[in-house]
Amino acid sequence: MARTRRSFIVRGGGAIVALATAAWLSCWPAAAGANGTIRGTVVIRRSQLVTEARPASAGLGAGPRRPVEFRPAVVYLDKAPGGAFELPEPGRAAMDQKDQTFVPHVLAITVGTIVDFPNSDLTFHNVFSLSKTKVFDLGRYSRGKSKAVRFDRPGVVQVFCDIHSHMSAYILVFAHRYFAVMDRTGNFAITGVPPGSYSLAVWHEGDVRETRALTIPESGGTIEAEFVIR
Amino acid sequence: MRISPHRLGAFALAAAGVLGVAGEALAQHWPTEPVTFAGGRLLVGGDVSATFGSEDPGWFTYTDYETSAIRRVRAGVTVEARASNRVSFLTEIRAETGVGVTPYAWYVRISPLASRLLDIQAGRIPPVFGAFTRRAYPQDNPLIGSPQTYQYLTSVRADAIPATVDDLLAMKGRGWLVRYPVGDTSPHNGVPTVAAERWDTGIEVRVGPPAFEAAVAYTVGSLSDPKVSENNRGGQVAGRVAWHPVAAFTVGVSAARGVFVADSVRQARPDAPPGDDTQRAFGIDAEASWGRWLVRGEYVANTWQVPPLDDPQVRDPLGSHAGYAEARYRLHPRLYAAIRGDLLRFTDITSPGGDETWEADVIRVEYGAGFTIRRGLLLKASVLSNWRDGGRVEASHLGAVQVLFWF
Repeated sequence: MARTRRSFIVRGGGAIVALATAAWLSCWPAAAGANGTIRGTVVIRRSQLVTEARPASAGLGAGPRRPVEFRPAVVYLDKAPGGAFELPEPGRAAMDQKDQTFVPHVLAITVGTIVDFPNSDLTFHNVFSLSKTKVFDLGRYSRGKSKAVRFDRPGVVQVFCDIHSHMSAYILVFAHRYFAVMDRTGNFAITGVPPGSYSLAVWHEGDVRETRALTIPESGGTIEAEFVIR
Repeated sequence: MRISPHRLGAFALAAAGVLGVAGEALAQHWPTEPVTFAGGRLLVGGDVSATFGSEDPGWFTYTDYETSAIRRVRAGVTVEARASNRVSFLTEIRAETGVGVTPYAWYVRISPLASRLLDIQAGRIPPVFGAFTRRAYPQDNPLIGSPQTYQYLTSVRADAIPATVDDLLAMKGRGWLVRYPVGDTSPHNGVPTVAAERWDTGIEVRVGPPAFEAAVAYTVGSLSDPKVSENNRGGQVAGRVAWHPVAAFTVGVSAARGVFVADSVRQARPDAPPGDDTQRAFGIDAEASWGRWLVRGEYVANTWQVPPLDDPQVRDPLGSHAGYAEARYRLHPRLYAAIRGDLLRFTDITSPGGDETWEADVIRVEYGAGFTIRRGLLLKASVLSNWRDGGRVEASHLGAVQVLFWF
């Protein structure tokens, strides 16, 4: 039985950021071999780790100190095996609001996932997005309360707070499961990838920084990939 | 040319379409955070607003003799330079049609405590009185017009005063161009109760956010006539205490007292009896928000005291009471509706014809909507209905649209 390969297009923050190209592609051979793993590291040379509030001359004093944010890159397969689209039951994920910062700053999920937005601050927050992938506004709510959004289209959703203009985050909604968010040491791993030729992309802060062709052999195994984002 | 509110509404719709296309085209490089340099030690933010409105023959919306708040283009750049974690320098340069380029704010901010529970600001500083003065920027104002307390030009001037009650009453309802016989005798606009378009110069200390906040400032000007340099023998002390009992609610109480009348006035009439030529004001402000609602309100009681000169003398303080309430409701992530009811009333003075208000009372109702084309690009449209108890034009219904970009 032939399997098909699809592409994945992400549009970020209103800007069209193609994380992958074209729609349906060629037939996908039956996966006779062993699945492989793509692992490696992403080195981010320059990154603004503190989201600064707008300089506001109208303040009567300084605002709270901004916490250092971890702004990871996301590595994913640009073109995924057809079987990848047979997603398991979508789960739940959470993006907290703490110290006037979205935590995590980057969330990668599959289509259909419900994301909770708890408020852990003493102040009100108002989560919203105007991204084409998902337009929503959760209104203002206080500490201890949480509201949820289901993301049912693939793409990039840029999230903001209507009250605190320095708060921003990204949610990457994938139509397949072949993606990984780098950890704090820069490592990532995409497991269970069927044999075949792929395009591996790395995304960071709204843009696709690099794409790279790679092949998982019939024998499976581990493919190493290193990325440097300048 | 008179422009009806309906024509402005059609213009707003067309502008939304054009800006929507332009916004998408620019989207790839649209800043969502302030521009930073030197590892975050230098921050630059800015805003540009263009407001197109009806002609205002009743001068209800003017901020000085030349400028209407609903017919102007304004651009501002704010720069914060952080010398250390505890010392920073802030400046805001503003360019505006009819006004030119103005250093709106420039001051040093010192945060001596690591907790940031104490801040000291010195220079041309933001006013501590009330709430609206610190959100007069277009992106913080859900509508286009300002509350009358902060914008409407009364017939009071700091550099010229009436010699008699008749002089004062002759200027009733025409604060946009006032002439008095004592002091600067050239015609010039009067002052608003609290100036939001200019900031005062002095030093301010704030303690205690976020649950409780208290700020006090000493400045060279007064609430209605902020100054860069002193023009009279005394300054102003102003303070505000704010309390946030819950995250959704803030209530503040403000007070100010400062010498208002310029020394040049007393020099013009050395025979004027001694007295305190002061402006005194007391204010209460509140803000509540929940879900899609944001509700705000303020009340300001104010008096100006001017020296009594010739008969019939202006012996009573020139008082005003002003209040407004505004509400914003978000209909959609991109769209909100807002309304503000606004009342400015003046006290009675004793005149040969009996007691009457020394200025014409004004009521304004403004309602409108805002459409977010994309983050940082907002289109607003509003209708301002004004009624005045006197003056050349007693009622005026105005329309305005505003395009605002900020980063």
